[in-house]
Amino acid sequence: MSVEQGVADPSARGPVAAVLAPIRGRLIVAGLLAALGAMLTLAPLAAIAEVARLALAGGQGLDQAWPVIAVGLGCLFAGMALISLGDLVAHLADNHITGTLRLAIIRRLARVPLGWFTSRASGEVKQAMQDDIGILHSLTAHFYTTLGRSAGAVLASIVYLFAMDWRMAIVSMLPFPLFFLFFARAHQASARNMQAFGAGMGRINQAVVEFVNGIPVVKAFGGQRKAHGSYREAVDAFAAAFTDFTRPLVSAMANANAMIAPVSVLGVVLAFGTLFVGLGWITPVQVLPFALVAPGICAPLLLLAYITHDLNNATGAAQRVQALLRTPVLETDGQGAGKLPADARIEVQGLGYHYDPRNPVLSEVSFTLEPGTVTAVVGASGAGKSTLARLLLRFFDPSAGRITLGGVDLRQIDSAQLYRRIGFVLQDVRLIHASVRENIALGRPSASQEQIEAAARIANIHERILAQPRGYDAVIGEDVQFSGGELQRLSIARAVLLDPPVLVLDEATAAADAENEVKLQQALSRFAQGRTLLVIAHRLDTVMHAEQILVLDQGTVAERGNHDELLARRGLYARLWAAGGYAKSRVTAQVEEH
Amino acid sequence: MLGIFVRLLGADAVFLRRYLRLALVYGVLCGLTIVTLMPILRHLLGNQLEAAGQWLALLALGVVVCWYLRRRVEKAGIAVGIAVLRGGRQRLGEHVGTLPVGWFSAANTARLSHVTTQGMMEIAQLPAHVFTPLFTGVVTPLVILVALLLVDLRLGLVALVSLPLLALVMLATMRLGQRADQRYQRDTAQTSQRMVEFAQAQSVLRAFNGEQGGTRFLEQAVAQQQQAARKLIQLSALSSVLNVWAVQASFAALLVVATLWLGEQAGAAFDSAAVIATLVALVLATRFIDPLLDVAGYSEVLRGTRGQLQAVAELLAVEPLPEPAAPQSPADGSVQLEQVGFRYGDDQPEVLREVSLDIAPGSMTALVGASGSGKTTLVRLIARFFDVTQGRVKVGGVDVRQMSAEQLAGQISQIFQDAYLFQGSIAHNIRLGKPDASEAEVLEAARLAGVQEILERLPEGLHTPVGEGGARLSGGERQRISIARALIKDAPILLIDEATAALDAENQAAIAEALARLRGKRTLIVIAHQLSTVAMADQIVVLDQGRIREQGAHAQLAAEGGLYAHFLEQRRAAKGWRIGEAAGDGVTA
Repeated sequence: MSVEQGVADPSARGPVAAVLAPIRGRLIVAGLLAALGAMLTLAPLAAIAEVARLALAGGQGLDQAWPVIAVGLGCLFAGMALISLGDLVAHLADNHITGTLRLAIIRRLARVPLGWFTSRASGEVKQAMQDDIGILHSLTAHFYTTLGRSAGAVLASIVYLFAMDWRMAIVSMLPFPLFFLFFARAHQASARNMQAFGAGMGRINQAVVEFVNGIPVVKAFGGQRKAHGSYREAVDAFAAAFTDFTRPLVSAMANANAMIAPVSVLGVVLAFGTLFVGLGWITPVQVLPFALVAPGICAPLLLLAYITHDLNNATGAAQRVQALLRTPVLETDGQGAGKLPADARIEVQGLGYHYDPRNPVLSEVSFTLEPGTVTAVVGASGAGKSTLARLLLRFFDPSAGRITLGGVDLRQIDSAQLYRRIGFVLQDVRLIHASVRENIALGRPSASQEQIEAAARIANIHERILAQPRGYDAVIGEDVQFSGGELQRLSIARAVLLDPPVLVLDEATAAADAENEVKLQQALSRFAQGRTLLVIAHRLDTVMHAEQILVLDQGTVAERGNHDELLARRGLYARLWAAGGYAKSRVTAQVEEH
Repeated sequence: MLGIFVRLLGADAVFLRRYLRLALVYGVLCGLTIVTLMPILRHLLGNQLEAAGQWLALLALGVVVCWYLRRRVEKAGIAVGIAVLRGGRQRLGEHVGTLPVGWFSAANTARLSHVTTQGMMEIAQLPAHVFTPLFTGVVTPLVILVALLLVDLRLGLVALVSLPLLALVMLATMRLGQRADQRYQRDTAQTSQRMVEFAQAQSVLRAFNGEQGGTRFLEQAVAQQQQAARKLIQLSALSSVLNVWAVQASFAALLVVATLWLGEQAGAAFDSAAVIATLVALVLATRFIDPLLDVAGYSEVLRGTRGQLQAVAELLAVEPLPEPAAPQSPADGSVQLEQVGFRYGDDQPEVLREVSLDIAPGSMTALVGASGSGKTTLVRLIARFFDVTQGRVKVGGVDVRQMSAEQLAGQISQIFQDAYLFQGSIAHNIRLGKPDASEAEVLEAARLAGVQEILERLPEGLHTPVGEGGARLSGGERQRISIARALIKDAPILLIDEATAALDAENQAAIAEALARLRGKRTLIVIAHQLSTVAMADQIVVLDQGRIREQGAHAQLAAEGGLYAHFLEQRRAAKGWRIGEAAGDGVTA
């Protein structure tokens, strides 16, 4: 009974059972309803056999035919109702669990360190939330009821047949062990090739991704044939692997299927029936129950054999879902949690961060952001500027040292409180697929139209929004396509509405044209006024007026001071300034003469 | 549904036809074999064992032949599956290879790769897993029906009447679920989008999570999806209930009619032969019902299948760029646009209007204009990412539509913003521009594109693998390799989309150097953002809302005081911006 093994296998059961624990009771009920229903639906077959017995016993018994048939039909429809009910229970339980799991994952992931997201493709996150839970659906919605129905039908049939005549029952069952023999052989054959097949599957998927994404490049370089070549090879190789994989499977499966085709079972029943009648062991009419019921075992048995397959799929999915639900989250420190910062002073003390201890991204960084001052962070790419900004925003927690806001460690501040105090405008602008209004009011959904418009004015984007036919109701990406610079300004409006006393800013403006760039700069200047500012600078001249400039080099603060002090030191900053060519280039100078 | 299958299979459709023929024969033979149970049972019940034995021999023969055929059917089904995995995928690949480059948007690319991988895998398994049981489930009862009509007219008629009714119920229930299914699919797609957004925009969502704003959108989407799913569950539960109940109702009708007749017999003179015949017909009727029950269970599977095939059909329906029958060779590196108009779709606004432009071979043209003014579209039309809606684009004096894809590609090299790298080494990726390039040539291109600096960091140098899609390199590094790839290709025309921000100083430097070196040797068409680039150009074209508004040399345009002069002013202002000064100061500083 490979089916039983599949279900009872503890390694297969663990994650699935754990994930489904909340609806376990309902699934058992659904399975039992289906089993009971399936048993009842066999009644009309028994009724036919009974009527035949009555009819052939001589005409007189036939007046009892009606009650027998009525009971049979009553059981049939009651059984069907039970099966339908079981299906409904299972489906609703499934709907409940998939919804609950998705919400649980969303809420969990909303609290994990942001680094978790950057190290993963967004498609993976979607796959876990949508597709893996979708796989669980086939399990919850179908597996248990199918199991109940099939097991119920098989069990009831066997019991009934043995009650009729044990010798006939035994011979009628003959094809079934043979079926399992072939079936097991097919599975052994496929298991042997499974690994090669899985590898082939991985290769073809990769080839497809590359082919599909690379077509534009390939077309541009006129090498269509070449790219097709490697795709074609991968396709052919996979088709060959698939052929090897299925060849041993096909004939074994065909044998297994043929073994329990209704014709085969009928043949066995009728042959032995005739033989036993000839031997005088049974009367001819006793063959009828077997001819009626035995072929009906085939379909449910086949189903039982196949659904274990679903269980294997679901186990992997359940494991992934479980892992997701156990992702470590950024904890708000238990002690003194929910403390409110006294003011907007930020102190960074002995800050260190690393993905890999041998390769620290930041180490021993200390500085203070006094309220109302501008601090710039400069340094070559890879010096740790962005990491520093992200730690300040608590996208992840430091490996060493601490950051305090108004005297309270960031880890002890409730995240809603934190982001009310520290706003940011980063290069990587993200807007939500929603209306302009909803995007600006993302952090304050209850903001009034006046407040939203005021924020948009400060961000220099109000007029551009009004120029849209749908104005503030225009859905971004649908009704309106904003340019990079406009999106930047929208993200500024969003931050303005929260009115944070501290602002973390990425100076690099990705505006695609000059007009936008000027508007963006105006917006930033207006927004930054009077706030504590930390600027990640790419062009040194932009931040030359900052009160404090931190020069990062390989994760440590190499120099600090204002522009003039730093130039006077003739150190790293002075070198960067010279290399940047902030003295006007020849060509630009020429242009500007006109 | 079979139609799409046949189109996907093309010449391989013979496999499908052979499979279907075999499945038909198999179904008929199964039916005939089952029918032999009639004479067997009749003789058995009538205690004529010898006659029963003869029929049993026939049944045994039938079982053996069925067994043999079943193997043939399975193999034929697998052959169809392999034809899908091989031929179908190749055909799909060849088809998308002919599509305009502009078609490959992120959404289309994602859909295409889903269909080519999972979609094809599911379609390939259709014959063995779905078609065979479904097909025999329909054919076998039909054979039994004929037999039933012959031996017992009343039961036969009941069965005959029930069949079209069953077909109607099943069609109706398929329709029933369809709309709910579409809504569910739509809501699921939306939720998936929200999930991707949730992951991509996590930093923003988290920072703006006041009043639970961060997870609100996704939670709403999930709630909507669950609701749509509940609706679908109700309808699909209802439809499967209806299907199965319809089949069982036919069975009940058969049973009642047979019992009615038997009841009459009880009163009349008892005719044992007639009673036996009816009982045997009834047993046969259960064999008529059983496969139909299986078929009823397949309606949900069929609906899912239809979705996969539909996706394939939609892909195959995308029109490729027409290729000329007699391609003409371009004469030189010139580019002309004549009264070009373009819109991305019939219901979309015009992106370019009456654009005429003459670009001499070996000259440098800078395209300037606000985002959305049509610069990118103009360059894409030259490379024939799309075909123009009006007018024509000529390269080397020949309409691009009169050239083969290879000829046009041979004429043009491109440096665009989104660089895709293939799995393989850096050298492999650079050589894509010139497959027979020597190691020295590759190194030279690498040096010119600023790749040298990357190579020095990597122990394997040029032979360092870049990972899938170039994932092992940073965006800037990928970009520079793509510049090297474009430079090594010896095409007379070079199209460049200059970096917009001052972000990537190294890339900008590489592009600037390439421009300076190639100026006068190639036809250069640049979407320009940097003043230095614009100033180098022989010709500056200022685009505004899809039209050319100004055209000429730098000095001339700067003096005119029009759009270009405004552009220069803005550029200067942006350059002088300083953080930490009062608002407004930045503009005038």
